[in-house]
Amino acid sequence: MKILGKLKRRKLLLFLSILGPGIIAANAGNDAGGIATYSIAGAHEGYKLLWLLFLITLVLAVVQEMSARMGVVTGKGLADLIRERFGVKVTILTMILLLFGNLTVTVSEFAGIAASLELFGVSRYISIPLSAILIWALVVKGSYRVVERVMLFFCLIYVSYIISGFLAKPPWLHVMTQLVTPNFRYDSKFITLFIAVIGTTITPWMQFYLQSAVADKGIKGENYNYARLDVYVGSFITDFIAFFIIVAAAATLYVNHVDINSASDAALALKPLAGKYCSILFAIGLLNASILSALILPLTTAYALSEAFGWESGIDKKFKEAPQFLSFYTIFIIIGALFILLPNLDLILIMLFAQTINGILLPIILIIMLILINDKSIMGEHVNTRFLNIVTGGMAGVLIILTILLIASTFFPDLF
Amino acid sequence: MYLVGDIFVSEILKKPVLDRAGEEIGKIKDFLIKTGEIFPWISSILITSKKMGPALIPWEDINLFNRRIISVKNLATEIIRQEVSDDDLLICRDILDKQIVDIDGVKVVRVNDIKLEEIENNLCLIAIDVGLNGILRRLSIEQGAKGLWKLFGYTLTSKLISWDYLQSLEPKLTKLTLKVSRKKISELHPADIAHIISQIPLKEKTVLFDSLDPEMAAEALHELEPETQANIIEGMDKEQATDILERMPPDEAADVLGDLPEAKAQELLNLMEEEEAEDVQELLEHDDDTAGGLMTTEYLGFTPDMTVEEAFTNLRLMLPDVELIYYIYIIDDDEHLLGVLSLKDLIMSNPQKNIAEIMRTKIKTVTPETDQMEVAELISKYNLYAVPVVDKEKKLLGIVTIDDIVDLVLPPSSRKKRQRA
Repeated sequence: MKILGKLKRRKLLLFLSILGPGIIAANAGNDAGGIATYSIAGAHEGYKLLWLLFLITLVLAVVQEMSARMGVVTGKGLADLIRERFGVKVTILTMILLLFGNLTVTVSEFAGIAASLELFGVSRYISIPLSAILIWALVVKGSYRVVERVMLFFCLIYVSYIISGFLAKPPWLHVMTQLVTPNFRYDSKFITLFIAVIGTTITPWMQFYLQSAVADKGIKGENYNYARLDVYVGSFITDFIAFFIIVAAAATLYVNHVDINSASDAALALKPLAGKYCSILFAIGLLNASILSALILPLTTAYALSEAFGWESGIDKKFKEAPQFLSFYTIFIIIGALFILLPNLDLILIMLFAQTINGILLPIILIIMLILINDKSIMGEHVNTRFLNIVTGGMAGVLIILTILLIASTFFPDLF
Repeated sequence: MYLVGDIFVSEILKKPVLDRAGEEIGKIKDFLIKTGEIFPWISSILITSKKMGPALIPWEDINLFNRRIISVKNLATEIIRQEVSDDDLLICRDILDKQIVDIDGVKVVRVNDIKLEEIENNLCLIAIDVGLNGILRRLSIEQGAKGLWKLFGYTLTSKLISWDYLQSLEPKLTKLTLKVSRKKISELHPADIAHIISQIPLKEKTVLFDSLDPEMAAEALHELEPETQANIIEGMDKEQATDILERMPPDEAADVLGDLPEAKAQELLNLMEEEEAEDVQELLEHDDDTAGGLMTTEYLGFTPDMTVEEAFTNLRLMLPDVELIYYIYIIDDDEHLLGVLSLKDLIMSNPQKNIAEIMRTKIKTVTPETDQMEVAELISKYNLYAVPVVDKEKKLLGIVTIDDIVDLVLPPSSRKKRQRA
């Protein structure tokens, strides 16, 4: 018995050492834009979209597992594989889309930092430069281990949403029945929200980040099972948090017919309805999510560009060792932060731009991932099984149709 | 074989291949290569067509091969379907877009394109293109981008790494490894580069020089044998050659030009910036074995009205452009030599004093016509670091430094060793 206990403890320690990329990548999907979308979904539709979370968790887990598997088997990032398998043209196209997509998302994360801290009375002219410097210094000065631990700590703070969900005092029985009852309504508002909730959870940059992080961490093939567990746990936690965000908004804002347009609106509106603490926790959650993603998006971009052009990359590297990687990281943070300090910035326009570009890129990335993961010369015996191909192929098809609909509906609001 | 100059892989990929009768038999998909002594060479061309699938055409069967037309000696009906194996080495599959790492495994860049050149009837891989040019060429927008760059007054120079720098290829390779570390590629001492260059055939020397930045190329060129210097400059395109010449000290540039045919030298001189060209022109007029042929026109010349303190300030400003301080010469507005100061003189003096007060006026000088051995004797006898060269009116023309003299008095064999060892 004692030996067994020892063995189990060793396995647990091994898992804890591998845990990270999957949890972080999935949680980063609950970024400023994600929280806004979930809050709006709860405020506008109540608990009606909760059932969708089951579906999203499944899709998220399957897609992220492919990224992690490619990272473990090849030891390379997604952009590495794209360049080597598809050549310069496809690489340049995806990199341009990723660059602009990520830049706009980064701007929206800094907007989240500014908005959440303004709820606490901190001017953005203080909060933005300060957070930008902190984020920059962490990666430039810190090692991979330190950066990963800080990011995992950020993932812990998401608990604030669970507490605020409880503080909102929802009718739990009703919530649970809604969770397993598929609802659908054929009108433009519902469909747009439906697609937006899916679109905010599965993004192109998450796939790039996850695979690069797995490769940078150097997870070995024999530990792949733990990496997969990391991805599954991450997918579950992410949607577990999303559940409480929707519940908090639905139990208060939807019931009292309060209309909101952003996550900070939601935090503000919670104050009279669910109390000061609920509001504060909601705002802290937004700040935390924005900082985490404002860190990950520039990092992802720097990883991807360095891989595509073959420059040295890695968080452990010094400026001298990986000059392009850290320069891109730096420039991205500077641009993202500066945008927020511009007066008269149209945030809605930026969000739409981000959504559109990521909507164009996601189908491309999903198709590329499916081709790569079925290539024997790259994946060896770890190619997709036929069953997994049918599942992922089907999901990719549905996601592609949904994102096309989402883009169409932003340009033609009367589509549905 | 009818190959026109050099060619990049991306320029001929997907080009149609014609048979003897002018029928298209397929499009170029890849190139099968074999590793050779220095450069890998293409053993057959992999073509593919919808009708037949893949086929391998041995290089011997190729009739014409250039950017416009690629044709084979056989008829379409004689070509049979053939697959490549995993153990073969293919340019596109195995080399293009692959990661290049240095000798320590640090990622440097990716293979953007590959340069081919005909050497003794074989089409060889002579260099990999790692620059922006290569990427633009792959996107088929190289010419357009170059034009755009020119509008803003820039030229896109290609960045090539000679195959010589790469470790040998093996089947199923996932990355290419350099023989040196990344730092070394840019920090390689010019003398080391010169060493590598003197080992490879002339054609590739020019290629390697193309991959260096002009500053480095200028220094490396100086370390080479005079004959090689001239050959390389002649093989280079004119703009690049003048770019490098302008960055060399005038006396070294003059040496290189002196070994070129007169017409070519004059042509390059005309292309150089006026100021630099004048300096070099002046030096070219002197015989090789006189003080005039040895001297450089780069020296530190100050006016006598300066204080010691001002002289120091000026020195600090000039220092980045100066290799070694031999002496400071004091000249009037018409460049007449008035006196000389060593660094020690300057340091030992009161900062407020005028340099005219402390300068030494008893100066050993030579004229441009003085024989080089006489100059050597003078430098040796008086333990000088440099001796000024003046004309009849005591105008300072330049200086002959002890470095130039050392090269002169050492026996020729030991000088060669310095460059080849």
